[in-house]
Amino acid sequence: MDKLLKSSIHLKIIKFFHENQASIDTPRGVATWVGEDKTKVRKALEDLVSAKVLVAHRATSTTGYSYTRDENTIAKIEKYLKMNR
Amino acid sequence: MKEINNNVYQKELFDRLKKSIGLKKEQECIGCLLKPAAWWIVEAANPKIGDIEKTVSNICPYHKKHAIGKNKSCVRVLFKVIKKAQETKLIAKFDCVEGLHGFVYPIMQGDNLYGYIGTCYRKKDVPAEVINIFSAFTDTIVRETQKELELSKLYETIRPRAIALSTVHTVHRLISSTLDLNELLPRIARLSLQILRANRCSIKLIDSKRKTLLPKSTIDLRTKKVRLKKVRVGKYAPGKAVKFGRPIRGRDFLAVPLIDEDVIGVITIYDKIDKKPFSSFDQEIMSTMAEQAVIAIKNAQLYKEQEKLTIGSIKSLAKVLDTRAPGTYVPRASFLKIALAIGQEMRLDTESIKSLEYAAILHDAGEIVIPYEVLTKPSKLTGKEYAIVKEHPMAGVELIKHMKALKSVTPIILYHHENYDGTGYPKGLKKDQIPIGARIMAVVSAFEAMITKRPYRIIKNIDEAVDEIKRNSGTQFDPSVVVTFIAIINRKDIRQALEKELYG
Repeated sequence: MDKLLKSSIHLKIIKFFHENQASIDTPRGVATWVGEDKTKVRKALEDLVSAKVLVAHRATSTTGYSYTRDENTIAKIEKYLKMNR
Repeated sequence: MKEINNNVYQKELFDRLKKSIGLKKEQECIGCLLKPAAWWIVEAANPKIGDIEKTVSNICPYHKKHAIGKNKSCVRVLFKVIKKAQETKLIAKFDCVEGLHGFVYPIMQGDNLYGYIGTCYRKKDVPAEVINIFSAFTDTIVRETQKELELSKLYETIRPRAIALSTVHTVHRLISSTLDLNELLPRIARLSLQILRANRCSIKLIDSKRKTLLPKSTIDLRTKKVRLKKVRVGKYAPGKAVKFGRPIRGRDFLAVPLIDEDVIGVITIYDKIDKKPFSSFDQEIMSTMAEQAVIAIKNAQLYKEQEKLTIGSIKSLAKVLDTRAPGTYVPRASFLKIALAIGQEMRLDTESIKSLEYAAILHDAGEIVIPYEVLTKPSKLTGKEYAIVKEHPMAGVELIKHMKALKSVTPIILYHHENYDGTGYPKGLKKDQIPIGARIMAVVSAFEAMITKRPYRIIKNIDEAVDEIKRNSGTQFDPSVVVTFIAIINRKDIRQALEKELYG
């Protein structure tokens, strides 16, 4: 996760979900909110799922992504965002 | 409340004004014309004398040198001119006790006055042209700042709603993409837990007598073991939500009824992760979620009904056909199981597996065109008779072509007598040209024909039939299907079901 926090696009996505923890969105939606290219966002989302920062809700028509529920991960992200504000 | 909002607006406006690059540049430009000059801002429409004193102490270089009395006079001059600007809502000039000059500009929006911006400490009187330039500049800067603030407020208000709307849209897409209730209900439960950041969700549907709520999906993210409890309508939060047809909210629970034309069930969420009570906003979100969930659940229920109807029609058709040659068309459950298990093992998608199930029942339906004498002939068929037999896949397709639900079944029926090496019928297709469903059906139907009673063939036992299939791998049958078939047939559960059905 530390590596992902250093990438601008990953960090933007993490910030978005940290600020909107009830959100579930598609790659297209997330790309709109973070103002990045959809293809890059799609890849970054999958990286974040692998790092267990996001949860993927996969269906045949699309995949929805939501924020982790793991309190330790959330606390770690909170600390990082505060330090780098 | 309005006053609080106004105060918040005022504070934010001044925060932005103080950071405004435009204002800094203006002060630099006008400052050149008024040199030397000191600038100040009073952040109140109706400032108290204390506010003025604070301003003066911050900017006036004479303040610390003055005697207290002189300072007070200075503050009074400024207070007086601010009052004048407040009343006239126009720029007001003044001379301070040191004989220095300055002016006060009231910051307005429409009729509302928010504060003042001013300058002093100028040795000569401020020319009217400079005041006009300052006024025009400041008006523009204040208007720009106000617009920026309003846009930012609008963004702050709209963005969370747009994000919530996008979430609702995504949830709608996720739950509409399945028609399988066993997949749909846990998905709705998980998404509800995610949206409300809660720990437990239970979905209950009402029974046919409309007296009891039957648990259909319960997810508790804190434990793997969940108790599925029936609830009587009218009892506890879920029962009450159903009885009264409205959400029931408590500190640690939120039950929202699933209402179509009538109440069909309830979604109950328990225990927020942050341990906060459920809010009216949660209730609003869950009600929207329930509205979408009920449509998806009804669609899935209708699809299931439709499916039952289709399979019922197929079975009836198979029974009618079976009257011509008893034991030939009504498939044995174990053969269906084998066909489906091969499909699953070969990772076919859900729709293809369903098609395989229908095809397993109907693959020889076209034999209805074969005359009874040919169908039951115990000896070898003549060339003419064999030509008639070879027509049955096409006849089978003709038979079901008007049933739209069976469209995906037709390639399996049409090509299940094709051989892997291209020597089969009706088209002589080979290898991958033959649809995978038809290649699976070729193995299963040949196996079935070998071990069940047929007028033209001596029954083989299971092992003999399996050997025969193996021998024809690569010629009659797809080798990959044969490998999977052998693995399936050696499974204990399949073997037992087959033996029980065949030999009792």
